[in-house]
Amino acid sequence: MTSPHIAAPLLEVRALSFQRQDEPVFAPVDFQLHAGELALVEGDNGSGKTTLLRMLAGLLHVGEGALRWRGAPLQRDACTGDILFLGHQLGLKADLSARENLHIATGLNGQRAGVSAAAALADIGLAGYEDEPVRRLSAGQKKRAALARLLLLPATLWLLDEPYANLDRSGIARVNLLLETHTAAGGAALVTSHGAVAFHGGEPKHIRMHA
Amino acid sequence: MTSPGLATACAAMLRRDLTLAWRRRGDIAMPVLYALIVTMLFPFALGPEDTLLQRIAGGVVLVTVLLAMLLALDAMFSSDIEDGSLEQLVLAPRPLALMLGMKILAHWITTALPLIVIAPLLAGMLHLPGAVMPVLLLALLLATPLLSLLGAVLVALTAGTRRSGMLLALMLLPLCVPAVIFAAGAVAAAQQGLPWLAPLAWLGAALALAVVLAPLACAAALRIALDA
Amino acid sequence: MASWIPLWLHKLGSPPTFYRFAGTLRPWMLALALLFGLIGLYGGLVLAPPDYQQGDAYRIIFIHVPSAWMSMFIYGVMGMAAFIALVWRIKLAEVVAMESAPIGAAFTFITLVTGSLWGKPMWGTWWTWDARLTSELVLLFLYLGVIGLYHAFEDRRQGARAAAFLAIIGIINVPIVHFSVNWWNTLHQGSTVNLFGPSSIVWAMLWPLLCMTLATKFYYAASLFRRVRTDLLALEGGKDWVRKIAESEA
Repeated sequence: MTSPHIAAPLLEVRALSFQRQDEPVFAPVDFQLHAGELALVEGDNGSGKTTLLRMLAGLLHVGEGALRWRGAPLQRDACTGDILFLGHQLGLKADLSARENLHIATGLNGQRAGVSAAAALADIGLAGYEDEPVRRLSAGQKKRAALARLLLLPATLWLLDEPYANLDRSGIARVNLLLETHTAAGGAALVTSHGAVAFHGGEPKHIRMHA
Repeated sequence: MTSPGLATACAAMLRRDLTLAWRRRGDIAMPVLYALIVTMLFPFALGPEDTLLQRIAGGVVLVTVLLAMLLALDAMFSSDIEDGSLEQLVLAPRPLALMLGMKILAHWITTALPLIVIAPLLAGMLHLPGAVMPVLLLALLLATPLLSLLGAVLVALTAGTRRSGMLLALMLLPLCVPAVIFAAGAVAAAQQGLPWLAPLAWLGAALALAVVLAPLACAAALRIALDA
Repeated sequence: MASWIPLWLHKLGSPPTFYRFAGTLRPWMLALALLFGLIGLYGGLVLAPPDYQQGDAYRIIFIHVPSAWMSMFIYGVMGMAAFIALVWRIKLAEVVAMESAPIGAAFTFITLVTGSLWGKPMWGTWWTWDARLTSELVLLFLYLGVIGLYHAFEDRRQGARAAAFLAIIGIINVPIVHFSVNWWNTLHQGSTVNLFGPSSIVWAMLWPLLCMTLATKFYYAASLFRRVRTDLLALEGGKDWVRKIAESEA
């Protein structure tokens, strides 16, 4: 899926900033993300972590600064399927089961070869809850149901906003393992988090955000 | 990696919205009940005189259906915005306009179609002559999708605001005037024994235009509304 | 797309430049509006002869007709500014579009009120579902929708973009409404009262009308400039050029 011979970074961010009502939300950010890398976006509440991720995902327009994707200026149409965004709002329909929610996601985004929805849900720790309406799941289980998308959808760059929120110890370990396998397979991920992350696949990159 | 075609994505979208509506089928009944109640009030307000009711029947049914649709329009995107599904839809590597077109179709099936089904009953309550009934149904079949499409664009524009039912009505009114005029005009013409095809043809032309343009406008409007 | 268009727009569209430009022009616009208004009113209310059919009642056209023209002209300006705002994301265009809307709505309202006042002696009723009056009413709702949508957003610029989009939809809608209302009118009534035969206007009535048209145009410019200046100060509150103005006036 990725081409390791490309020397250009997967994602390059130059002097990126965002203004809301003409107030800068964060100071200009510069960083590069290569295939196989994990970056932690750090900063206090209100430092613009979520805004940065939403901009990179393409939900917010880029005000000032430049984004480059695989060495060329980022074109939204060319890379939408390659970037997977998971925000505070999980994008799950409460009236549908976890399995049905996953089927919608794969219907829209496509599916990795060799992974089934059932396997993904079992892997993320929702075995036995596949057909329960999401409304009846606990907050942590809902998070897991949303994270199952990571296993199932084909994407190179993951943008995860607070993926550890609401998760228990085993859930956190599961997310770390997911990130490890993803980066080992040549993917990259940008993760926002307040807390420290125990990441075993090498030292993650740190991006500090300032208001 | 397997990448499903557009047809699969459209089907997934349509199935999703129809399943959701089915799981909350009580909500589908609401606009229908509303239309029944409003229609019932007219004879009480105007008196049970057959000739008067007959004369206004077509127009009353059309306006009632329009208002009932307006009632349900607000909910087209609100739950998807609250739970983040809309973000996922915007980010999916599929043409957003096409996906929104599917959403609009699902919305039309779940709100307008039940109203069209009970329209003969509503018209019957007001003594609309049986011969005019097919024209009324045809007018509704053309006018309601037009309203769904136009409404979707406006709902998308208000997606970034606080709940705003009144605002939606204010914005929709100028846009739906032509649809109401032509739909009611066809029914009135049929009732007077005049040719009624021309206004319906205009409606059909407007619908054809809206089917192509409205989803595109809806996608553009949503991107504006989410961009903050 | 010609690249000089955005460049040129950016130059004139830079808020401090436009702020100064509008500030210099505004008093002149206001003075011209007053001058033409007074001349036009004198010519129309005093000098022009009474109409052989309508007597003095027709004199309301010196308000009604320029207002009606302005209600459509301003919608056109708003639509163009809205288009520029959406395509090139120029702040000034957003402000111009949004600040045109209340002025246009006011002119539309005046048109409706004067039309209805004129209708009373002419048709014997305050309101009639005449095609032009109905279109004008729909136009008022279009304006109100734009204003309402603009104010429904927390973020003013986002609100401006959404409302600009609505204004453009409205531009497509106006001819459709006019056509459908005309059609509806012929279906439901006989021919409408024709207030103005094409040749019925004489020079003594025409020149005050033209004066009033100029007066309303200048008034619109003056009013728009004032509103835009205020808005620019509010929107650019944190910028240096606004600080300097605030310091110099403190």
